Amino acid sequence: MTQVSLSLLLLPLLSALVTLLFLRKHGSIASLLSVASAGGILAFSSYLIFGLNSLEDFTWTATWFQLSDWELQFGFLIDSPAKTLLFVVSFVGLLIHIFSLGYMSEDQSKARYFGGLSIFMFSMLGITMADNLIMIFVFWELVGFSSYLLIAHYFNTEEAKDASKKAFIVNRVGDFGFLLGIILTYWTFDTVNLQELSSMAGVFPEFTSTTLCLLLACGFIGKSAQFPLQVWLPDAMAGPTPVSALIHAATMVAAGIFLLIRIDFLFTPEALQLIGLMGAVMGLYAGFCALTQRDIKKVLAYSTLSQLGYMAAAFGLGLPGIALFHLMTHAFFKALMFLGSGSVIHACHHEQDIFNYGGLRKKMPITAYTFLIGVLAISGVHFLSGYFSKDAILLGAYNLNFVIFIILYAGAILTSIYMFRLYFLTFCGEPRSKASSGAHESNIFMTAPLLLLALLSLVGGFHAIYPTAIVEYMIPDIVQVAEMPNHLWMNVLGAIAWVGGLLIAWRTYGSTSSSTDPLENQLPIIFQLSRSKLFFDEVYNAYVQRIQDPFFRFIEIMELLFISGLMVRGTAGIAALFSLLGKSFYSGKIHSYSFWFIIGTVGFLAYAIFGGGM
Amino acid sequence: MSLQQIILLGSIFIPAFSAIVILLFFLNNERRAKEIAYVAFIFPFAAGIILFLNFDPLNDGYSHEILFERMGLHELGITFHLGLNGVSAPLFAMAGVVGMSAGIAAIHSNADRKSLYLALLSFMQSGLMGIFASVDIFFYYLFHEFALIPTFLMIGIWGGRDRRSIALEITIYLTLGALISLGGLVALNVMVDSAKFDFPSLSNAILSDGLGSSTQNKIFGLLLFGFGILVALFPFHTWAARGYECAPTSVSMLHAGVLKKFGLYGLIQIALPLLPEGGQSWGAYILWLALGNVLFVGAVTIAQNNLKSMIGNGSVMHMGYCFLGLGVCSSLGASGAIMLMCAHGLSVSLMFLLSHYIHLRSGSLEMNEMGGLGGQTPILACFFAAATFATIGLPGFGNFWGEFAIFLSLGAQEGHFVFLVLAALGIIISAIFGLRAMARIFYGTKTDEMIAYQKNKKISDLRSKEILPAAVILLPLLLLGLWPKMVSDGIDTNVSSQLSILNEEGVGDYALPPCCPPQVELKKKAPPLMDSIKPENGGND
Repeated sequence: MTQVSLSLLLLPLLSALVTLLFLRKHGSIASLLSVASAGGILAFSSYLIFGLNSLEDFTWTATWFQLSDWELQFGFLIDSPAKTLLFVVSFVGLLIHIFSLGYMSEDQSKARYFGGLSIFMFSMLGITMADNLIMIFVFWELVGFSSYLLIAHYFNTEEAKDASKKAFIVNRVGDFGFLLGIILTYWTFDTVNLQELSSMAGVFPEFTSTTLCLLLACGFIGKSAQFPLQVWLPDAMAGPTPVSALIHAATMVAAGIFLLIRIDFLFTPEALQLIGLMGAVMGLYAGFCALTQRDIKKVLAYSTLSQLGYMAAAFGLGLPGIALFHLMTHAFFKALMFLGSGSVIHACHHEQDIFNYGGLRKKMPITAYTFLIGVLAISGVHFLSGYFSKDAILLGAYNLNFVIFIILYAGAILTSIYMFRLYFLTFCGEPRSKASSGAHESNIFMTAPLLLLALLSLVGGFHAIYPTAIVEYMIPDIVQVAEMPNHLWMNVLGAIAWVGGLLIAWRTYGSTSSSTDPLENQLPIIFQLSRSKLFFDEVYNAYVQRIQDPFFRFIEIMELLFISGLMVRGTAGIAALFSLLGKSFYSGKIHSYSFWFIIGTVGFLAYAIFGGGM
Repeated sequence: MSLQQIILLGSIFIPAFSAIVILLFFLNNERRAKEIAYVAFIFPFAAGIILFLNFDPLNDGYSHEILFERMGLHELGITFHLGLNGVSAPLFAMAGVVGMSAGIAAIHSNADRKSLYLALLSFMQSGLMGIFASVDIFFYYLFHEFALIPTFLMIGIWGGRDRRSIALEITIYLTLGALISLGGLVALNVMVDSAKFDFPSLSNAILSDGLGSSTQNKIFGLLLFGFGILVALFPFHTWAARGYECAPTSVSMLHAGVLKKFGLYGLIQIALPLLPEGGQSWGAYILWLALGNVLFVGAVTIAQNNLKSMIGNGSVMHMGYCFLGLGVCSSLGASGAIMLMCAHGLSVSLMFLLSHYIHLRSGSLEMNEMGGLGGQTPILACFFAAATFATIGLPGFGNFWGEFAIFLSLGAQEGHFVFLVLAALGIIISAIFGLRAMARIFYGTKTDEMIAYQKNKKISDLRSKEILPAAVILLPLLLLGLWPKMVSDGIDTNVSSQLSILNEEGVGDYALPPCCPPQVELKKKAPPLMDSIKPENGGND
């Protein structure tokens, strides 16, 4: 098992390395290599999941290095939540690799793209399997790096230039707290190993503190783009669409939730409540922003933010298993929709404005119908995958925390409105631009992953279809929610939410023919508010441009004035003054020397005669 | 003499000898001078690697020792004593690596009077290798001066804008720092009753006959500010960025990468283990000043528009981390500082080297006049990205482990938590300036200035003779990140043995008293003065 897990981790790294060193100019070979490594990853991880003793946890630890009393361990902890994520990452990862073969076929720098994907797979598998917080942090930073690399794929555009930088720096802000949390954990518990921490926290509950777990949760807030660090994710859509599907929807951003699940034993009730509430607010806020987005990928990005909020809310309610469940189903239907949008964008020659689409259902039926399945799943249509996981969160909230339920339910209605809006504008009606009227269905590399993901989005909510190893962690929470009262209510409310959203979206957007948003005329205030995204970007930009940069320039000037100027030049000036004084004695003129000689002699004599006597 | 001893000796004398040969015979024969310079830089590189690989990390003493007792100075306890221990061996190898890279870059550069330039650079290299190979403290100091003097000359002759005034400023600054630290070393020599003036004898002597805490405080203060000036400790840092901006590339590489580590090496090998009580009472000031490096200079770094000036300021900022590791006075902090020194020496010299390559292709170092270079020079962009991410502490590069160990050591005591929080802000600051530079140089569209400069010029990506010096640095930087055990074992064995000797002696648990704001304490304790340290005071006041 050790060899398998090590090979699983190192395979994509090897692929990236070979690509970097030898295949920079051979994009097609690099892409095949990367897809092959993704296939290998799926094979290895299936072995880990289904292999011998698959119901047991697998652990393996080695010391990486040691300084003083601190030992850095490198180890794997492959337990049930890790297996779930392993399955999601390797399965969705492979499909997206295959999709990329089609989507990126005409790209100039394929090698860089596929190398980046391999680095990402390496880092993401590292997070999944790591058995201690420091290792998680190491790979945490590395996924941030690969995300940076891939967002900057089209580096010649100003958009990608700013977005890549923003994504990494905003993530660093979250990692700042995460780092402090890890160090505090180490000095509190004297270990960062997850299993040891879990048993320690059980024995000494007084060691856990709200400060500690909230610091650790900063990592989640950065990576999962939660309030107040959500600003990087919509901009990250500047990267290629399959990257958005893999990194910024299905796996990396969900790693934040996975981190929370890994350390859930450290959380105090207050911290849980805060995270639950923040998650719920994010679910509503992001849904509200998604209502008026025109860029197909930005709609999906805000939808991702919103769904991550649902997962956080589930975690905050004390239902980490449900959070993981929603993570899994969300990975399927969101990857499906992102890839679907990629197929549309590819067909429409990189047109991304949904008001320039329309009528694509007839031109690209596979994309359209699979996309529709994704829309139905996320809206919570009964018995699709999203229904099970999302309604479990809603039902849990209904019984455990009614405030969170109200917020989440409002978010659920918004979800179905903006998702059906997206579907109607893109696929129904008549083409509204030249780009969309000339579109045709994508090739098999792109449609096959869509079909597979659509299948999982259809039936992925029935946990019985999965091997026990994958869903073991979720079962207790699912059972707990299943035994809660008010099921019927929840079913009715859920139906109201998605049917209501469907009707509203149909009435508003069903027959759009111009390229202006109908909402702009019907509800101008709400439209403007939603467009503004409540001014987060403006506030941050103003902070950077008006406060941070001038402040740093001010510091630079202070340095010039006081340290270089006053201290260094001042000291030099005083020295120079003395030297000037000294120099004036050596004028090179004989009469001045004789003058000083006489003064000196007289002074000396005066001292000898008068001073000596005193 | 064994082969390893000969190699060690050769790594110091072959560059010096080559320099003399160039000066005497080949000053006007550039081709021959280049050939000799290759030897002068490749030999120390090979020596560093060979001796590092042959070094037993679990040995807590010196390996490959060479000792010439009778140098005419033995009455002062000074002998010519070379050797490598767990701390100096990685730094020695690092000096060899950076030296070779800087040397090759210089050989391929377009400097005037190249023979003279190469000769001076070889002299500098000889001094650099000597610093980390010396066991005797006198020669340790002497080799530093040996490397410093060619630095001044090269900045004054081959530097950029304002080279004369900057060379003068740097000379005065560094000579002052060297002088103050010399004062501390002389005081140490006088106060400690030791037959020899080398690291092990001194620590043995102190072990048997400890110094009083007031003496320790004074000597530590001298060493701290003397060495501190040499390492650009806040607020004595302004020479560094100006100097590196002006200096020719190879000199910036060698100075920022290797020579600047002299002071930290001295503090960690001399001041911290020999003067533990001094370290404890100065610890709080070190931490505050180091925060000045991290936050104040970090802010200045973000405001820079000139690439070289940004790299220079950034290197000053990262020296703050090393001082933080020093200021906590724990073996974890000191070990982290040494790991960071090794990695930072590599990463900063790589940054300077690449900035030179960028300058050749964009015609400017002002970042607002660049842009979109990534399309023309993907390999250069790749190297620059690697160097940038190493600098900002991405795991996978050596810098991360050093920084992490230092942060961890700061968390050990609750009193230090405020330092930890403020210092960790540095990871955001580094990310901001590093990625801004990356984006402004390589991403986006070309500026008009770039288009004007590149008109009628053929802009090529890195050629293999340019890739070689960069790859020579990048490879060990990656190795350090992936396999930190390579250096950590030796460092750990040495640092903990040095500190454990002192712990047995009853110096205490090597912990700092709670930190007070420095303004309050500075009034109570006057800065140590040279004349207050006299041998008459005795060793135990």
